[in-house]
Amino acid sequence: MSNFKVFMNGLVKENPTFVLLLGMCPTLGTTSSAFNGMSMGLATTAVLVFSNIIISLIKNVIPDMVRIPSFIVVIASLVTILQMVLQAYVPTVYESLGLFIPLIVVNCIILGRAEAFAAKNSAVSSLFDGLGMGLGFTWALTLLGATREFLGTGKIFDFTIFPEEYGMLLFVLAPGAFIALGYLLAIVNKIRKA
Amino acid sequence: MKKLKSTLPNMAIVLTLISVLAGGILAYVNSVTKGPIAQLKEKNLADGIKAVLNAQDLKVQDSKTLDAGDVLYITDKGTAVKTITNGFGGALTVLVGFDNDGNIQGYQVLEHAETPGLGAKAGDWFQKDAKGDIIGKNPGEKELTVSKDGGDVDAITASTITSRAFLLAINNAYKSFKNAEVAAPAIEEKTVSAEPATEETTNE
Amino acid sequence: MANKLIVSLSPHVHSGDSVQKNMYGVIIALIPALLVSLFVFGLGAAIVTITSIAACVLFEWAITKYILNREKCTITDGSAILTGLLLAFNLPSNLPLWIIIIGALVAIGVGKMTFGGLGCNPFNPALVGRIFLLISFPVQMTTWPTPGQLTSYTDAETMATPLSIMSRAIKDGNAEILNELPDSLSLFLGQSAGSLGEVSALALLLGFAWLLYKRIITWHIPVSILVTVFVLSGLMHWTNPAFASPEYHLLTGGLMLGAIFMATDYVTSPMSHTGQLVYGISIGVLTVIIRAFGAYPEGMSFAIFIMNAFVPLINNYFKPKRFGEVAK
Repeated sequence: MSNFKVFMNGLVKENPTFVLLLGMCPTLGTTSSAFNGMSMGLATTAVLVFSNIIISLIKNVIPDMVRIPSFIVVIASLVTILQMVLQAYVPTVYESLGLFIPLIVVNCIILGRAEAFAAKNSAVSSLFDGLGMGLGFTWALTLLGATREFLGTGKIFDFTIFPEEYGMLLFVLAPGAFIALGYLLAIVNKIRKA
Repeated sequence: MKKLKSTLPNMAIVLTLISVLAGGILAYVNSVTKGPIAQLKEKNLADGIKAVLNAQDLKVQDSKTLDAGDVLYITDKGTAVKTITNGFGGALTVLVGFDNDGNIQGYQVLEHAETPGLGAKAGDWFQKDAKGDIIGKNPGEKELTVSKDGGDVDAITASTITSRAFLLAINNAYKSFKNAEVAAPAIEEKTVSAEPATEETTNE
Repeated sequence: MANKLIVSLSPHVHSGDSVQKNMYGVIIALIPALLVSLFVFGLGAAIVTITSIAACVLFEWAITKYILNREKCTITDGSAILTGLLLAFNLPSNLPLWIIIIGALVAIGVGKMTFGGLGCNPFNPALVGRIFLLISFPVQMTTWPTPGQLTSYTDAETMATPLSIMSRAIKDGNAEILNELPDSLSLFLGQSAGSLGEVSALALLLGFAWLLYKRIITWHIPVSILVTVFVLSGLMHWTNPAFASPEYHLLTGGLMLGAIFMATDYVTSPMSHTGQLVYGISIGVLTVIIRAFGAYPEGMSFAIFIMNAFVPLINNYFKPKRFGEVAK
């Protein structure tokens, strides 16, 4: 499989959110606005790319029986680094995502790609896989965040489209995440099948 | 290179190595980012004090930490009080500025864990000319409460709990400010009832 | 093949029951309450009811035709009209038009058609609409016009409902606030603030009598809910007088409306009588708990909504008696 194909696989064909339905916790939890969704997606992408590269590089020195704990240590370290870097240099993103940054550790996309892809492929294709999956996750979260922000507050990326008092508050709250995700999934599947 | 066999020594060595490496890298990153994080916090605080006291430049003359955990920053333009209460989603840290008569000059929500779109609005809601304007009010004349509890501050729509917590923080800050001023604990400590853990509502 | 369905020669007896007949039966039962709300809230009540019904029917028609591409249109079965009417009954009479239309879209679109239409929806569509609106537009949904302003709509003057008075009494632990409550006779007849359909307990009870007489519903769900609320709120009132007395709990808010018309929806309530009792008692308990300790003053709609989700489970444990099965 060419690297381009690997990249497109994550972006569209096996999109982690709309097709694999992985990583639902951050998907539902952080998408109260388009900006939050995008930040979460990009943060996950960063972790995913590095964890894929590192794991594919060290895959041969890790005995099979301890591969999961090893992967988790790698991923958790990367997430902690990300958290500290964000806190120091991009405080706005750090504040808006809050608790969800440490939760990237348990995002199943990352461990899933480590298991399913990085542990079997070269570092270069793992890089493309991480990028594809990460950006696939990012656009899905941005779309969901934009939908919720638009319906809930009348804005997209803080740009006002209709006055806020006409917004349906429910969409900014947790139940709105489920409803919006459900309808987006239906629409995306309809388009994919057409 | 062939894959390592899952023997006990192999596993132990590999796991140890990975953990040690990870720990080392984390320690390094921590040492690099510690400085900027602390600096950022300090700068935020300094900017905050200026903002809540509505002054371009001021001198912090003294700062003291009270027993309740409130921090007072006494300046030549007034006093800023940092106080923490329980909001709906977790700790709610507010910085309030008082002039020497105890009138509220401004406030800033420093840290919060309120629901986005609801309680998180507290940062703007109570500012000057906003719906729940508290600027210029004096908690010493009348304790600030939401209109639902008989007060004259409009609560954030659908976030009464956050609003109550916020106003409680302001009232507490005022008490700390007064206590420090008279330097005697004359004002009786009012018991603070715990808020129920539901985000929520309105006046049906 | 042992389980072959054996059909004898005609003539067959038909019970005369149909979806349509039941739906229109329920609508007839709601007429007294509608009349009371027209009498109490005047123009606003008429506008809200007409908009809600028209929007529900229109959305049902548009969705079946253009999104589901179904040949047969289901609007004549009366269920969309009923949903619209029930939704209107759950709204304050000064609600702006656009909010009502959003509510109708959510009730029909999200609550019903998404799941495949009538018979497939896990939640009562009118309730889905009402809860969506309550959470999305808490301000508009909880400012209730004072009764008696017959010619005003969105400009009507508003007042606190008995329920919000009760809720405040509990939170302050102060029984004196309860003195602000209107007397129970005016609650019974419908002279207090509230949603369109919930103001008069008497009109709703008339509807209940009609439903029982026509055998559209059985007594199990409504009676179990009402008795549970009465007993539980009685106990709480006895231990803490700040908690309003049981007759207020029965007469205020959406309790009667919910117990008689919303909880008994065929699609979203249990099949067996035992199951219906379990369902009714649970709704009663949840309602009292939410009213006493919840953030929202009214708990009825949430209680029904929560128990709707449990209906498949209840059906699994309390199966209706099967006839024609060989005894083991």
